[in-house]
Amino acid sequence: METGRNLTDNELLQILRSDVTPDEAIRQLYRSQFGITKAYINQNNGSDEDAEDIFQEVVLVFIELVKKDKFRGESSISTFLYAITRNTWLNELKKRGRSKLRDEKFEKAKDNTEMDISHYMVNRELKTQLMRLIDSLGETCKKILLAFYYDNLAIKEILQNLQYENEQVVRNKKYKCLKQLEQMLAEQTQLAKNLKSILFYE
Amino acid sequence: MNDNSTNTDLLIQYLDGELEGEALTSIREKIAASHELAAELESLRLAKESVKTYGLKKNIAGIHTEMMKELSATPAQHPIGIRRMLQYTTRIAAMLAIVLGTMVLYQYFSATPQQLFRNNYETFQLHETRGGNTVSVLEDPFKKGDMAVVTAAFKKIDNPQPEDYFLNGIAALNLNHAPDAIHSFLALQQNNKVNDVHFFEEDAQYYLGLAYLQNNEPGKALPLFEHIHADQAHTYHRKINSWFMLKLKRMARH
Repeated sequence: METGRNLTDNELLQILRSDVTPDEAIRQLYRSQFGITKAYINQNNGSDEDAEDIFQEVVLVFIELVKKDKFRGESSISTFLYAITRNTWLNELKKRGRSKLRDEKFEKAKDNTEMDISHYMVNRELKTQLMRLIDSLGETCKKILLAFYYDNLAIKEILQNLQYENEQVVRNKKYKCLKQLEQMLAEQTQLAKNLKSILFYE
Repeated sequence: MNDNSTNTDLLIQYLDGELEGEALTSIREKIAASHELAAELESLRLAKESVKTYGLKKNIAGIHTEMMKELSATPAQHPIGIRRMLQYTTRIAAMLAIVLGTMVLYQYFSATPQQLFRNNYETFQLHETRGGNTVSVLEDPFKKGDMAVVTAAFKKIDNPQPEDYFLNGIAALNLNHAPDAIHSFLALQQNNKVNDVHFFEEDAQYYLGLAYLQNNEPGKALPLFEHIHADQAHTYHRKINSWFMLKLKRMARH
């Protein structure tokens, strides 16, 4: 994909829906949206760090929604991201318990939201637990699972990159790592239940 | 592999889209028949989605660091409303600047010495007379604004005094007789020089400069106005601004 110019919404969505790396799309989202997010959060009692954290989470949710075909361009990407940002930040303020005023603002703002995106709000705590869980798998498992499920590499390519004896060894290793993660999730039923609700967007 | 691990292996292959034909049909039937297998498949699917989310989050975090560097090196974005307002304001300001600039450039390039004279000339008011002690016969017609009478009367004076030269010069300017005005102001300056006096000195400098402009001789007017413009104590200093000098210099070059 050509870089160095602004992608249209359609081009950006095409990249995100495909198996190609989303890096350039993510960069464009930063260039076009981060300033807006930062201004909004700064104007609503948030720090620059808050803006950075929220924006990363919002981009993550947006990309996952696109990949799951939950965003079909009913509004512009900019409008959609702004709506998610606003809901997420107001929810964050509510959690921080700043004041009753915030609650009132939150309810009012939610009422004014044209799109029903309340169920797309970022759940930062759950994502943090998920990251810890996968980190605990160990480096080898993480590399194999990420190579296969995130980078979409074939077993043959993983074999070349990670230097295993043969493809079957890679397959076995991948099998064991995924099963290990599945069992870890099965042991934490509440976490698994919550993760299902935020990862499947159903 | 025992039955359980065989089934898990098949579930993973099914999840990864690697099964086809009979194997695919078979596992589908097994999943439909077994809640246990269906639950395991769901758990594996959650594990797979978790890995994808982990990878994406790490990817975004890496790009985030890169983008914070890039964005900190570029001006901050304004919210859409403010940005649009700024864009409109900037466009209007740019258009006004272009119009204003065009007008200024037009004035600069189209100005002629005569225009410069007309824009700056105000006839001398006699009550402003300074330096002369002798009452001139030209004063009465001058005060009445009868400039032709002034110039006619001047010609009859055998021994003109500084005020006579000066009033005649002003009258000639009013009558658009620039050469006569120049002659009269130069004579006044010569008279002052010979007698080592300074009657109407600053007035004569200013009006001689204007007479040169009226006579289409900006090159001769330039040193006079440069002197007035540079001398803040000069009586006519405030009448000569930088824009006037800029236009005069352009005319003097051509």
